[in-house]
Amino acid sequence: MKVPYVDDKPTRGGFRTPSDDDLGRMIRNTVESWRPQRGPDWPGVLIRLASSGPPPWLLYTAASAALVVILLAAFLVGSALQIGALGPQPVPSNLH
Amino acid sequence: MTEEGKELDPATEFRQLYDQQYVSVYRSIRGVVLESSAAEDLTQETFVRAYRARHRYTPTAPPGAWLRRIGINLAISYLRRQKLARVLPARLYTPPDRRDYDRAEARDVVTKALATLSPKLRAAIVLHYYDGLTRDEIAAVLGVPAGTVASRIAKAVAIMRKSLGSDQDFGPERSTSEGALRGR
Repeated sequence: MKVPYVDDKPTRGGFRTPSDDDLGRMIRNTVESWRPQRGPDWPGVLIRLASSGPPPWLLYTAASAALVVILLAAFLVGSALQIGALGPQPVPSNLH
Repeated sequence: MTEEGKELDPATEFRQLYDQQYVSVYRSIRGVVLESSAAEDLTQETFVRAYRARHRYTPTAPPGAWLRRIGINLAISYLRRQKLARVLPARLYTPPDRRDYDRAEARDVVTKALATLSPKLRAAIVLHYYDGLTRDEIAAVLGVPAGTVASRIAKAVAIMRKSLGSDQDFGPERSTSEGALRGR
Protein backbone atom coordinates (compact mmCIF):
# COMPACT_ATOMS: atom_id res chain seq x y z
CA MET A 1 0.00 0.00 0.00
CA LYS A 2 1.50 3.33 -1.02
CA VAL A 3 0.94 6.10 1.50
CA PRO A 4 2.03 9.70 0.86
CA TYR A 5 4.37 11.49 3.25
CA VAL A 6 2.45 12.85 6.23
CA ASP A 7 3.82 15.52 8.51
CA ASP A 8 3.59 15.53 12.30
CA LYS A 9 0.34 17.56 12.34
CA PRO A 10 -2.14 15.77 14.59
CA THR A 11 -5.24 14.51 12.84
CA ARG A 12 -8.64 14.86 14.45
CA GLY A 13 -10.35 11.56 14.93
CA GLY A 14 -13.43 10.76 12.95
CA PHE A 15 -16.37 8.77 14.16
CA ARG A 16 -14.62 5.44 13.88
CA THR A 17 -10.88 6.23 13.90
CA PRO A 18 -8.67 7.51 16.74
CA SER A 19 -6.85 10.82 16.34
CA ASP A 20 -3.04 10.80 16.17
CA ASP A 21 -2.90 11.97 19.79
CA ASP A 22 -5.25 9.16 20.87
CA LEU A 23 -3.21 6.63 18.91
CA GLY A 24 0.07 7.81 20.44
CA ARG A 25 -1.43 7.67 23.94
CA MET A 26 -2.85 4.21 23.37
CA ILE A 27 0.46 2.85 22.07
CA ARG A 28 2.40 4.40 24.98
CA ASN A 29 -0.05 3.03 27.55
CA THR A 30 0.02 -0.44 26.03
CA VAL A 31 3.81 -0.60 25.73
CA GLU A 32 4.27 0.74 29.28
CA SER A 33 1.98 -1.99 30.59
CA TRP A 34 4.39 -4.67 29.30
CA ARG A 35 6.54 -5.95 32.14
CA PRO A 36 9.17 -8.68 31.80
CA GLN A 37 8.23 -11.82 33.74
CA ARG A 38 11.78 -12.62 34.85
CA GLY A 39 13.23 -9.11 34.98
CA PRO A 40 16.91 -8.17 34.76
CA ASP A 41 19.18 -11.19 35.23
CA TRP A 42 22.83 -10.11 35.19
CA PRO A 43 24.18 -13.58 36.13
CA GLY A 44 22.25 -14.89 33.10
CA VAL A 45 24.14 -12.46 30.86
CA LEU A 46 27.46 -13.61 32.35
CA ILE A 47 26.53 -17.28 31.79
CA ARG A 48 25.67 -16.56 28.16
CA LEU A 49 28.95 -14.71 27.73
CA ALA A 50 30.93 -17.59 29.24
CA SER A 51 29.17 -20.30 27.24
CA SER A 52 29.30 -18.53 23.89
CA GLY A 53 32.21 -19.23 21.57
CA PRO A 54 34.44 -16.69 19.86
CA PRO A 55 32.76 -13.83 17.99
CA PRO A 56 31.92 -14.56 14.31
CA TRP A 57 34.40 -12.00 12.94
CA LEU A 58 37.25 -13.77 14.78
CA LEU A 59 36.08 -17.15 13.50
CA TYR A 60 35.89 -15.98 9.87
CA THR A 61 39.27 -14.22 10.07
CA ALA A 62 40.93 -17.32 11.54
CA ALA A 63 39.32 -19.57 8.92
CA SER A 64 40.41 -17.26 6.06
CA ALA A 65 43.98 -17.10 7.40
CA ALA A 66 44.08 -20.91 7.72
CA LEU A 67 42.89 -21.31 4.12
CA VAL A 68 45.62 -18.94 2.84
CA VAL A 69 48.28 -20.87 4.81
CA ILE A 70 47.04 -24.23 3.43
CA LEU A 71 47.04 -22.96 -0.19
CA LEU A 72 50.51 -21.43 0.18
CA ALA A 73 51.92 -24.59 1.77
CA ALA A 74 50.37 -26.73 -0.98
CA PHE A 75 51.97 -24.51 -3.63
CA LEU A 76 55.41 -24.62 -1.97
CA VAL A 77 55.28 -28.40 -1.42
CA GLY A 78 53.96 -29.01 -4.93
CA SER A 79 56.63 -26.89 -6.57
CA ALA A 80 59.44 -28.37 -4.40
CA LEU A 81 58.42 -31.96 -5.14
CA GLN A 82 57.44 -31.12 -8.73
CA ILE A 83 54.00 -32.63 -8.28
CA GLY A 84 51.18 -32.32 -10.81
CA ALA A 85 50.87 -29.06 -12.72
CA LEU A 86 53.77 -27.59 -10.73
CA GLY A 87 56.21 -30.19 -12.16
CA PRO A 88 58.11 -29.72 -15.45
CA GLN A 89 55.80 -30.07 -18.40
CA PRO A 90 56.75 -32.36 -21.32
CA VAL A 91 57.66 -30.33 -24.39
CA PRO A 92 56.12 -31.69 -27.62
CA SER A 93 59.04 -32.77 -29.86
CA ASN A 94 57.33 -31.77 -33.10
CA LEU A 95 57.35 -28.09 -32.22
CA HIS A 96 60.31 -25.98 -33.31
CA MET B 1 14.50 8.87 25.17
CA THR B 2 12.89 7.16 28.12
CA GLU B 3 16.11 6.62 30.03
CA GLU B 4 16.35 8.39 33.32
CA GLY B 5 19.26 10.27 34.79
CA LYS B 6 22.71 10.62 33.27
CA GLU B 7 23.97 8.70 30.29
CA LEU B 8 26.20 5.84 31.33
CA ASP B 9 29.36 4.78 29.55
CA PRO B 10 28.97 1.21 28.24
CA ALA B 11 32.71 0.57 28.49
CA THR B 12 32.99 1.28 32.22
CA GLU B 13 29.42 1.25 33.59
CA PHE B 14 27.84 -1.60 31.67
CA ARG B 15 26.24 -3.24 34.69
CA GLN B 16 24.45 -0.03 35.66
CA LEU B 17 23.44 0.50 32.03
CA TYR B 18 21.93 -3.01 32.04
CA ASP B 19 19.81 -2.27 35.11
CA GLN B 20 18.80 1.16 33.79
CA GLN B 21 17.88 0.13 30.25
CA TYR B 22 16.64 -3.46 30.64
CA VAL B 23 12.90 -2.75 30.82
CA SER B 24 12.80 -0.12 28.07
CA VAL B 25 14.89 -2.29 25.72
CA TYR B 26 12.56 -5.21 26.54
CA ARG B 27 9.50 -3.13 25.66
CA SER B 28 11.00 -1.93 22.38
CA ILE B 29 11.84 -5.51 21.40
CA ARG B 30 8.45 -6.79 22.49
CA GLY B 31 6.84 -4.11 20.35
CA VAL B 32 8.46 -5.81 17.37
CA VAL B 33 8.14 -9.52 18.23
CA LEU B 34 4.88 -9.23 20.28
CA GLU B 35 5.82 -12.28 22.38
CA SER B 36 6.84 -11.84 26.00
CA SER B 37 9.13 -14.88 26.35
CA ALA B 38 10.91 -14.27 23.02
CA ALA B 39 11.29 -10.59 23.92
CA GLU B 40 12.97 -11.48 27.24
CA ASP B 41 15.35 -13.88 25.54
CA LEU B 42 16.21 -11.33 22.85
CA THR B 43 16.72 -8.63 25.49
CA GLN B 44 19.32 -10.80 27.25
CA GLU B 45 20.99 -11.52 23.89
CA THR B 46 21.02 -7.78 23.14
CA PHE B 47 22.99 -7.10 26.29
CA VAL B 48 25.34 -10.02 25.61
CA ARG B 49 26.14 -8.60 22.15
CA ALA B 50 26.39 -5.07 23.51
CA TYR B 51 28.76 -6.23 26.27
CA ARG B 52 31.06 -7.81 23.69
CA ALA B 53 31.00 -4.62 21.62
CA ARG B 54 31.11 -2.17 24.55
CA HIS B 55 34.61 -0.92 23.74
CA ARG B 56 33.59 -0.17 20.16
CA TYR B 57 30.71 2.10 21.28
CA THR B 58 31.13 5.66 20.03
CA PRO B 59 29.11 8.37 21.79
CA THR B 60 27.55 9.74 18.57
CA ALA B 61 24.18 8.47 19.85
CA PRO B 62 22.98 7.86 23.43
CA PRO B 63 23.72 4.34 24.78
CA GLY B 64 19.96 3.66 24.86
CA ALA B 65 19.69 4.22 21.09
CA TRP B 66 22.76 2.02 20.55
CA LEU B 67 21.15 -0.79 22.60
CA ARG B 68 17.86 -0.39 20.71
CA ARG B 69 19.67 -0.65 17.41
CA ILE B 70 21.16 -4.00 18.48
CA GLY B 71 17.85 -5.19 19.97
CA ILE B 72 15.60 -4.18 17.06
CA ASN B 73 17.97 -5.80 14.55
CA LEU B 74 18.00 -8.98 16.63
CA ALA B 75 14.19 -8.93 16.83
CA ILE B 76 13.79 -8.48 13.06
CA SER B 77 16.33 -11.30 12.43
CA TYR B 78 14.44 -13.51 14.89
CA LEU B 79 11.15 -12.94 13.04
CA ARG B 80 12.87 -13.58 9.71
CA ARG B 81 14.19 -16.92 11.05
CA GLN B 82 10.71 -17.79 12.34
CA LYS B 83 9.20 -17.04 8.93
CA LEU B 84 11.86 -19.19 7.26
CA ALA B 85 11.35 -21.98 9.79
CA ARG B 86 7.67 -22.16 8.87
CA VAL B 87 8.55 -23.37 5.38
CA LEU B 88 10.76 -26.15 6.79
CA PRO B 89 9.35 -29.65 7.29
CA ALA B 90 7.07 -29.83 10.32
CA ARG B 91 9.52 -32.00 12.24
CA LEU B 92 12.22 -29.31 12.14
CA TYR B 93 9.92 -26.44 13.04
CA THR B 94 8.78 -25.93 16.61
CA PRO B 95 6.16 -23.20 16.76
CA PRO B 96 6.60 -20.68 19.59
CA ASP B 97 4.42 -21.05 22.64
CA ARG B 98 1.76 -18.44 21.99
CA ARG B 99 -0.69 -19.49 24.70
CA ASP B 100 -0.11 -16.45 26.89
CA TYR B 101 -0.29 -14.21 23.81
CA ASP B 102 -3.59 -15.75 22.75
CA ARG B 103 -5.02 -15.48 26.23
CA ALA B 104 -4.11 -11.98 27.25
CA GLU B 105 -2.64 -9.97 24.43
CA ALA B 106 -5.08 -10.83 21.67
CA ARG B 107 -7.75 -9.17 23.77
CA ASP B 108 -5.77 -5.96 23.70
CA VAL B 109 -6.86 -3.91 20.71
CA VAL B 110 -3.58 -2.01 20.40
CA THR B 111 -1.53 -5.23 20.38
CA LYS B 112 -3.93 -6.63 17.82
CA ALA B 113 -3.47 -3.51 15.69
CA LEU B 114 0.32 -3.75 16.08
CA ALA B 115 0.14 -7.37 14.95
CA THR B 116 -1.33 -6.26 11.62
CA LEU B 117 1.89 -4.34 10.85
CA SER B 118 5.12 -5.73 9.44
CA PRO B 119 8.04 -5.96 11.93
CA LYS B 120 9.78 -2.95 10.33
CA LEU B 121 6.65 -0.81 10.65
CA ARG B 122 6.19 -1.95 14.27
CA ALA B 123 9.78 -1.00 15.04
CA ALA B 124 9.25 2.51 13.63
CA ILE B 125 5.99 2.95 15.56
CA VAL B 126 7.38 1.76 18.91
CA LEU B 127 10.55 3.84 18.59
CA HIS B 128 8.46 6.90 17.68
CA TYR B 129 5.57 6.67 20.13
CA TYR B 130 7.10 4.78 23.06
CA ASP B 131 10.78 5.69 22.98
CA GLY B 132 9.97 9.20 21.73
CA LEU B 133 12.80 9.21 19.19
CA THR B 134 12.87 11.75 16.38
CA ARG B 135 12.85 10.59 12.76
CA ASP B 136 16.59 11.16 12.47
CA GLU B 137 17.23 9.11 15.63
CA ILE B 138 14.95 6.31 14.38
CA ALA B 139 16.75 6.43 11.04
CA ALA B 140 20.06 5.96 12.88
CA VAL B 141 18.65 3.06 14.92
CA LEU B 142 17.12 1.27 11.94
CA GLY B 143 19.88 2.16 9.49
CA VAL B 144 17.51 3.67 6.91
CA PRO B 145 17.06 7.25 5.57
CA ALA B 146 14.84 9.63 7.57
CA GLY B 147 12.42 9.82 4.63
CA THR B 148 11.90 6.06 4.83
CA VAL B 149 11.16 6.39 8.55
CA ALA B 150 8.58 9.11 7.83
CA SER B 151 6.80 6.99 5.24
CA ARG B 152 6.92 3.90 7.49
CA ILE B 153 5.35 5.84 10.38
CA ALA B 154 2.68 7.33 8.10
CA LYS B 155 1.88 3.91 6.65
CA ALA B 156 1.79 2.25 10.08
CA VAL B 157 -0.42 5.00 11.53
CA ALA B 158 -2.85 4.67 8.61
CA ILE B 159 -3.08 0.89 9.05
CA MET B 160 -3.42 1.11 12.85
CA ARG B 161 -6.07 3.84 12.75
CA LYS B 162 -8.07 1.74 10.33
CA SER B 163 -7.59 -1.38 12.44
CA LEU B 164 -8.45 0.39 15.72
CA GLY B 165 -11.35 2.22 14.13
CA SER B 166 -12.95 -1.06 13.16
CA ASP B 167 -12.69 -2.24 16.78
CA GLN B 168 -14.01 0.78 18.64
CA ASP B 169 -15.44 4.27 18.26
CA PHE B 170 -13.42 7.40 18.98
CA GLY B 171 -15.64 10.15 17.63
CA PRO B 172 -16.49 13.38 19.39
CA GLU B 173 -20.12 12.52 18.81
CA ARG B 174 -19.86 9.76 21.42
CA SER B 175 -21.57 10.87 24.63
CA THR B 176 -20.28 10.08 28.07
CA SER B 177 -23.33 8.00 28.83
CA GLU B 178 -22.92 5.89 25.73
CA GLY B 179 -20.46 3.48 27.35
CA ALA B 180 -22.73 3.01 30.31
CA LEU B 181 -25.72 2.42 28.07
CA ARG B 182 -23.74 -0.04 25.96
CA GLY B 183 -22.67 -1.88 29.10
CA ARG B 184 -26.26 -2.62 30.07
